[in-house]
Amino acid sequence: MIQFPDSYDTIEVPAGGVVRSGGTDLQQRLRAENARPTIVDLTGVDGFAGISSSPDGVRIGGGTTMAAVAAELDASHPALAIATGSLATPQVRAYGTIAGNLTQHTRCWYYRHPEMSCFKSGGDSCPARTGRHLYGVVFDRGECVHPHPSTIAMALLCYETTLILADGSSKTMDELLGDGNDPTRDHLLADGDVIAAVHVEPGWTDERGAYFRSISRFEAEWPLVEAVVRARVDDGVIAEVALAVGGVATVPLRMTAAEAILVSSELTDETIAAAAAACTEGANPLPETGYKVDLVLATVTETLERLRAAGE
Amino acid sequence: MVAIQTTVNGEAHELQLDGHESAVDVIREQLGLTGTKLVCAGGVCGACTVQIDGTPAVGCLTPATALRDREVTTVEGLGTDGDLHPVQRAFMAHDGLQCGYCTPGFVVDAATFVDRWQREHGTSEPDRHTIADALAGHLCRCGAYEGIYRAVAAACRGDFASETGVSLRVDGRAKVTGDAVYTADVYPDDALEAVIVRSPIAAGTVGPISSDSAEHLVDLLDDDRRVRYAGQPIAAVAAPTLIEARQLAADLSVRIEPAPFVIDPDDALASDAPLVYESRAAKKTAPNAAEGPMAPARWQGNLRGPNPTPWLGTLAKRRVKKARSQGAKGHVALHFETAVQLHSSFEPHATVADWSDPDRLRVWTSTQALDHVAHELADHFGVEPGKIDVVSDFIGGGFGSKLSVTPDMTAAIELSRRARKPVRLVLSRAEELTATGNRPGSRTDVDMVVSDDGDLDAMVLDGQSLTGVSINSPYTALATLVYGRSPRLARDSDIVANAPPGTPFRGPGGPTYAWALEQSVDQAAHQIGMDPIDLRRRWDGNDKRQALYDWASNLPVWSDRPATGTQTGRYQRGVGIASGNWLYMVDPDTEVEVSVCHGRLLVRNATQDMGTGSKTVLARAVAGVFDVPVADVDVEIGRAGSRALHGPTSGGSRTTASIHSTAIEAAEKLKAEVGVDLGSAEGASATATRGGDHSMRPVPITFANLQLGRGFSAAVHVSEVEVDTLTGKTRVVSVHGGLAIGVPHARELAISQCEGSIIQGIGLALYENQILDPHSGVTLTSNLEDYRIPQLGDTPEITIHFHEPGWEHVPGGGVGLGEVATISPAASVGNAIFNATGHRPTTLPVRPDRLLEGLR
Repeated sequence: MIQFPDSYDTIEVPAGGVVRSGGTDLQQRLRAENARPTIVDLTGVDGFAGISSSPDGVRIGGGTTMAAVAAELDASHPALAIATGSLATPQVRAYGTIAGNLTQHTRCWYYRHPEMSCFKSGGDSCPARTGRHLYGVVFDRGECVHPHPSTIAMALLCYETTLILADGSSKTMDELLGDGNDPTRDHLLADGDVIAAVHVEPGWTDERGAYFRSISRFEAEWPLVEAVVRARVDDGVIAEVALAVGGVATVPLRMTAAEAILVSSELTDETIAAAAAACTEGANPLPETGYKVDLVLATVTETLERLRAAGE
Repeated sequence: MVAIQTTVNGEAHELQLDGHESAVDVIREQLGLTGTKLVCAGGVCGACTVQIDGTPAVGCLTPATALRDREVTTVEGLGTDGDLHPVQRAFMAHDGLQCGYCTPGFVVDAATFVDRWQREHGTSEPDRHTIADALAGHLCRCGAYEGIYRAVAAACRGDFASETGVSLRVDGRAKVTGDAVYTADVYPDDALEAVIVRSPIAAGTVGPISSDSAEHLVDLLDDDRRVRYAGQPIAAVAAPTLIEARQLAADLSVRIEPAPFVIDPDDALASDAPLVYESRAAKKTAPNAAEGPMAPARWQGNLRGPNPTPWLGTLAKRRVKKARSQGAKGHVALHFETAVQLHSSFEPHATVADWSDPDRLRVWTSTQALDHVAHELADHFGVEPGKIDVVSDFIGGGFGSKLSVTPDMTAAIELSRRARKPVRLVLSRAEELTATGNRPGSRTDVDMVVSDDGDLDAMVLDGQSLTGVSINSPYTALATLVYGRSPRLARDSDIVANAPPGTPFRGPGGPTYAWALEQSVDQAAHQIGMDPIDLRRRWDGNDKRQALYDWASNLPVWSDRPATGTQTGRYQRGVGIASGNWLYMVDPDTEVEVSVCHGRLLVRNATQDMGTGSKTVLARAVAGVFDVPVADVDVEIGRAGSRALHGPTSGGSRTTASIHSTAIEAAEKLKAEVGVDLGSAEGASATATRGGDHSMRPVPITFANLQLGRGFSAAVHVSEVEVDTLTGKTRVVSVHGGLAIGVPHARELAISQCEGSIIQGIGLALYENQILDPHSGVTLTSNLEDYRIPQLGDTPEITIHFHEPGWEHVPGGGVGLGEVATISPAASVGNAIFNATGHRPTTLPVRPDRLLEGLR
């Protein structure tokens, strides 16, 4: 069964049904699970795709592709644009959407394996915790040990962001993600909730942004650790800054301690080192993820160096 | 159901959809456009890329409903008016392909990139980074990346804007247009789809299998009803559609009485470990991980071996003991580990069987051992000669995993026999990455004693292969064949566990021994303060490799290498060398026929081309004799059965050396008979048989269709790396590969294969790692996101050098190279990392986590 609602008012997701935007996560899972749920396909909803600007900021329709976000917000929201343009592959960015990216399911190899069961697939344990978790969290906050998959969620943490749902209600990013303690959830939207749009505050004047992901290969690999930063720099001194790190916890983390070090400072090697070190505070790695403490340092360092270079 | 309108390759279609389908399935199955391939099913490899309104999309993740009211272009529609797109011509002319299975996706995407590039930049040439960035959504397992770079750059320059590119491969055009039909592309009318039911647990005894609804069910278990690894085939079922077949499989009532099992090799060696093979009879059923015959060996629990390969072994042990007690400067004692590597052929194991006519069994199967498999299947099913035809026209990669009769073959044939309908059985990516074999992991202890002036005094290697449920994966024995005749002892063991079976994998044991031996040699050179090439020159009795050392030592990258451990910055550059050694094998029973058919030359036998170029080798050989263009020769291989002439298995690097000279001999016979005027020679033919080499001495070992010939093939690889000591990431910057395999019979294709072997070696060195759940034995890396193979952007600048003398006793003067080219790349990367950082990476793959720990 498939439904094509043409307006937000007519979206009705039946029990066991799923909503589909670009399909870049769902189609993979449907094949793996040999599943045929009722699909509510949102691509025909009026106004679902597209970016519009106003003095209040930008409204990114939930069905806007990642390629469009990367291309159109390049000047106003460079951190969001660069991070979005660095994820997945060109083909996935061309069809995957921002709403889908925020609500994709975890990429944990246990969750995705049909022979395995875990909290998120209806089970009552995390087999990765007692099994293999090489790509797992380094800030261990709940029973699930796989990092949140959304690079865009990490980037949006750096802005005043409001999610507008199809029923007209709104949620903050914190309300979307929670604190990562609930191992059964990738996000806290209710079944049938649809992200109609993402509203992001206006960029700062002359805002700079930088992003880096640590991976083993060239590109197109889930990050071991990733970091994003946006900043406004006056006369070489950071006036405003926001920094977030991903690949490290069941939710992406805003790094306020590091921001406190950076603000009102110049981006010297020493400041960068201190900010990077601050990002590792509270890390409690799993047996296989100790290396990610080093990688948080490395990734934040590289990200801030890129931020510095962006101003030169 | 929903009906949508779409335009595909300019033609309007109405599609009836459930809504859950992905575009790739509809394009292949409803529209019959099988050029678009399904490989990873996860948006990683790009083989299913099509253009939707001009924008590349992955067909596996694109809902079919998204094609509504769109213009879709597949590889079949890429060209215009019967002419190819310039990118297709460039891929043919620069050999941007081997097996061809990833090629349609690459060219469909590259075409949009080239068109956009030329609009924005004219005919300037993009750099490699730009190309890699644009094509980051594609993978190629053969490693044709150098050719892909060359092709895309040339197309951007406008090299192929008007001219018709000449294909280096005789089957290049079929591969760049999507016309090449692989087994997975064969969809007979009225065919059933079959799936294999697999064990979800690592060990147990399976009860009777029955199903209310499985009309077509075949049991695949041995008489003992035991399963020994998670993923082992139990049964197969067939149904009209794949979704129904999978549902049948899920609903099948299979009772498995679980048994104790062991996954971890250390646990497997514990005195109270559950035995994988509980009896002498059970041990006899263990699969063979090697290509050759099995030497007998003792078992102690789950340990099989050690099997010693000694040469003055007692003396070697005594010298090691003495050097250790004296703390000798030239005593190297290192422990090495390698990870299990998965073949990851892009075309999965696949068989289509049609036994609807009881008097004729037709089989399409993806195999690198066509003739062998055809005979085995005829025997197994009791089919008379002449009543079975087996086809393997195009093979989407094999790498050693497709050398024998596999469950997909027997299941599809048996199901077709029962159903009296054609049956398709194509493995999923998860199955392919779980249960179709692997290069066993290993743990090696090396003791090497080198005198202060650089003599090799002794060498003792202890190797344990982590073979899963297979046995017989000796590799340290290969290390004894390389350097001189000083005292040495190699002891090989298998540790069996309830893990997926090891199988042959391109140069079985080769990269594994080299990872340990070549780094130990490098370490010895470091400890005694000698140049690593000079040290090898002292020991190496192979003239051909001596010539390669001369070549390597003159490379600027080698002479300019830094002193080990002297760098302090974030990025550290290093250069490493390693050598490789392999056996020369040939199939003396190979027959080749050259005939005149429809006024053209036709060369044929029952071998196959899995991207290695055998079709091209045959065509060029015959064209050379008749002095005609290669395009004037037709090649018919990939068919075994009634009219077949024996063709070699593509394993043991034997194909080229078996077919090349035989084709020349047959062509010369035909030419002597009919001259060069083919017009009056219709139907004439001549056949030749390979036989032995010139002045061949009695060969030490002969198996069926395989002779071990005289001489060792040789390789030397020099790799340059850049290590980011902050992030732990290693980038291979350049690799120089030197090969002494005599004359390469299709030079450009030989270069492609050597380049691909370097790229696979980089995968082994840095990325590839099968990971099992320790508590269940389930393969976690059963997808191409978590099983990480090299990308286009990971490709170093590669230079290939051939040293050609030394094979004059072989007709044609050259031998195979698929394996010797793959032995030393990974070890050379390991030595380069040591040169760069002063840290010797002993465990594969050298992932960021391991490197960061090593550098800490």
